[in-house]
Amino acid sequence: MNSAAGTSPHPQTVAQPVSRKRGITERYRLFLYALPFLVLVFVFSYMPLYGWIYSLYNYRPGFKLSDTPFVGLQWFRSIFANPTQTQEVLRVMKNTVAMSALGILTSVLPVAFAILLSEIRSMRFKKTVQILTTLPNFISWVLVYAIAFMMFNVDNGLINKLMIELGLQDRGFNYLANDSHTWLAMILWATWKGLGWGAIMYIAAITGIDQEQYDAAKVDGAGRFRQMWNITVPGIMPTYFVLLLLSIANFINNGMEQYFVFQNPINKDHIEVLDLYVYNTGMLGTNFSFATAVSMLKSIISIGLLFFANRLSKWVRGESII
Amino acid sequence: MVQMKKKKALTASVAVLLAASLAACSGGNNNASPSAAPSGSASSGASASASGSSAPQRDAYKIDVFSMLSNFSGEQQGWFAKVVKDKFNLDLNIISSNLEGGGDVKFSAMMSAGNLGDLVVFGDDGQKYQDAIKAGMLLDWTQDGLLDKYGQNLTKYAPKAIEKNKVNFGGGSKVYGIGFEVGEGEGPSEGKDMTYNPNLRFDLYQKAGSPKITKMEDYLPVLKKMQELEPKSDSGKPTYAFSMWQDWDGNMMMNTKAWAGLNGFDEGDGFNPGGFTLISADKNEVQGVLDENGFYMRGLKLYFDANQMGLVDPDSMTQKFDDVVNKMTDGQLLFTWFPWLNTYNTPERLAEGKGFALVPFEEERTFSYGYNPYGGNRIWAIGAKAKHPERVLEFIDWLYSPEGTMVANYGPEGMAWKLEGGKPVLTDFGKQALPSNPTAVPDEFGGGTWKDGQNQINNSTLKLTSINPETGEPYDYTLWTSTLAQAPNKLEESWRAAMGGATSAKEYLLKNDMIAVNKQIFTGTAPEVISDELSQKQGQVAQVIKQYSWKMVFAKNEAEFDKLKKEMISKAKGLGYDDVYNWNKSQNEKVFEYRAK
Repeated sequence: MNSAAGTSPHPQTVAQPVSRKRGITERYRLFLYALPFLVLVFVFSYMPLYGWIYSLYNYRPGFKLSDTPFVGLQWFRSIFANPTQTQEVLRVMKNTVAMSALGILTSVLPVAFAILLSEIRSMRFKKTVQILTTLPNFISWVLVYAIAFMMFNVDNGLINKLMIELGLQDRGFNYLANDSHTWLAMILWATWKGLGWGAIMYIAAITGIDQEQYDAAKVDGAGRFRQMWNITVPGIMPTYFVLLLLSIANFINNGMEQYFVFQNPINKDHIEVLDLYVYNTGMLGTNFSFATAVSMLKSIISIGLLFFANRLSKWVRGESII
Repeated sequence: MVQMKKKKALTASVAVLLAASLAACSGGNNNASPSAAPSGSASSGASASASGSSAPQRDAYKIDVFSMLSNFSGEQQGWFAKVVKDKFNLDLNIISSNLEGGGDVKFSAMMSAGNLGDLVVFGDDGQKYQDAIKAGMLLDWTQDGLLDKYGQNLTKYAPKAIEKNKVNFGGGSKVYGIGFEVGEGEGPSEGKDMTYNPNLRFDLYQKAGSPKITKMEDYLPVLKKMQELEPKSDSGKPTYAFSMWQDWDGNMMMNTKAWAGLNGFDEGDGFNPGGFTLISADKNEVQGVLDENGFYMRGLKLYFDANQMGLVDPDSMTQKFDDVVNKMTDGQLLFTWFPWLNTYNTPERLAEGKGFALVPFEEERTFSYGYNPYGGNRIWAIGAKAKHPERVLEFIDWLYSPEGTMVANYGPEGMAWKLEGGKPVLTDFGKQALPSNPTAVPDEFGGGTWKDGQNQINNSTLKLTSINPETGEPYDYTLWTSTLAQAPNKLEESWRAAMGGATSAKEYLLKNDMIAVNKQIFTGTAPEVISDELSQKQGQVAQVIKQYSWKMVFAKNEAEFDKLKKEMISKAKGLGYDDVYNWNKSQNEKVFEYRAK
């Protein structure tokens, strides 16, 4: 794919504005520019939909789909036919929605962080803080868990050792196998990992604010907090709303890596989000067809959310997105 | 003209781009389709060419060993690697499903990719093995006369096991694999120690006054006293009675199931793959996992009580088997269900009189698997896509020979053991290193430590307690005349004195009628495969049982324990526990009919 893209004559076409007269009309040219991305969207967003067909069969890995029995809507019915099963799915949906909602609520934290960071005068300190907070974003969740394990494990964990030394605990306590405040703990980890990264956009937006506004405010006698509140905050609000909308669209996609590495029998009730549930039933329970059926719920909810956001936009701004 | 060319180039490049991206996607699909036919022809070609070149100097051949039993992932190291390299010029790259995703994750992924590796080890002969055969992932050993040409030891030392696989799984003519622990004999098949045995730190048990233990729950006060006597391990870490691990859990919590094993019940009946029933080894009795008074629930209560007393390692839920072994070696444990987990008894400690030994409870009826000439249900097989299947078969064949059995377990002759007058004798190195101590191995044998260099595939071939025709003694080194004649160490002395002169755990248990031997059967058919609907239910119920079992062990108080228990039962039943249980039970009852024959 790379080599094909490399040999494509786009750069030449761009370098010679004359070519406009020489053939490909403007609209085809634009279409061709967009084409690679359309192909990507098709390949990664539409082709996988073909996989939905697995929910209609009794699929077992290793066999051709056509060699496995067709069962129609049996797996869909089994979600709702059995009250315990329905409750399981509801529990998973509750976790998914709760964690996403918490994620959206905490999306103001990077904004606050960016504003405070931009107020720091010492460049060196500012850069250091920014680098240190951005780095965790590039650590994979598996390593984050390794760090968590080193800090919290019972025999050698830093926290346990500290607590015992200070006399606050008389013996080791397994912090990781604990179901109190699971949602909160997960949000904290996610915030620790994503805070600095999330602030980058806002820092860029702040740099884009016209310096004259601040000067004018200073002349009018505004203090630093006034300036922040009345100039910086309104200045980055458009960025914030764009990102907020994007995160609402991704509401249901809260991923699974984080929850996968942190899950254990004790916290499973509250940590199992939809993606993780699909993995646990599909890959661990070896029931691909049923897991496919459950994962399709995700698409249904996403479409619902899209219409909701659209309606909201119509109501607030008077124009619809789609 | 130039314009035309440009346009063409552009469309062509776009077409290439499109095609490339589509091909990238469909490539996975192509691989996923099982292609038994082409692989068959490919391997026959390979074997034809290789048979000509089976000269002593052969090309290095790295084989993927996909073991669903191994607890080690990566290339085999140390002395065993050297043995296999020198003899077969093979390198073993071990893929462990326990460590790579757990459960059936790795198996599903490899099945989807259409390749199970070169040497495949199945944990049982149930659905996965049968699916792999059906999907054409396994090689038929009779193809091109491979078995006749390269399987002389197999047909000599395990004829009934080959026959069983032919009849049960190969439609009467094909052979796709062979079961483990093949051996003939009467009575319990274990060596000096059983598979399940409550072993305690015997020195501490005696220091605690050797209290009498009638039922399994009686261990708790004793263990508490022992913990008070020795609160810290050698390296200064806290000691626990029970340190458990999650990675072997299948349909239920494995460490809890162990208590059923100590009472003569096990998840399998020796024929069918496990489910939600616990089956007696020698009586026609079946318990449900969730039976109120069953051994599984009793085991959970026992661990709960133990945790309340501070006897359960809080790391249990987050650690792996290897961590437990390390804790055992360090002396952090006071109890084990499994004598084979005992890595604490080093010669130095034994000489001091410290170490683990059997402390039975009066009601104990230890599960014994019995001799099985047909082979157990852990399977050795060869992947259909193996490049040189004859070399893999040759390797398996060697493992099933007396020489291979000795070498794979105890290393090449001259290292840990030697022959004196035709009888095996442990060398000084052997006395130091066995069973699995981190003793340094001389460079000529591959270096590293004995423990790290051990065979990591974790499946056995010939039953170690059966007689080696070349020496006239059992393969198991603990049963050699020379080993038995050794002066007992300090621990053994005090143990024997306390146990009325019994020389081994097995001897004591046999004398006191505390062993339940599983009767092996030959059916001529494969175990029945569970329906997809029941299999889905089983998968989901198993998740519930496992999750709640661990939660119950670590429940804060009795009320929470009872609440969780109720939740577990109602959730499991709601997801179809009863249907699966009834199916399991009906299959077990069929086995009872065969047992009566």
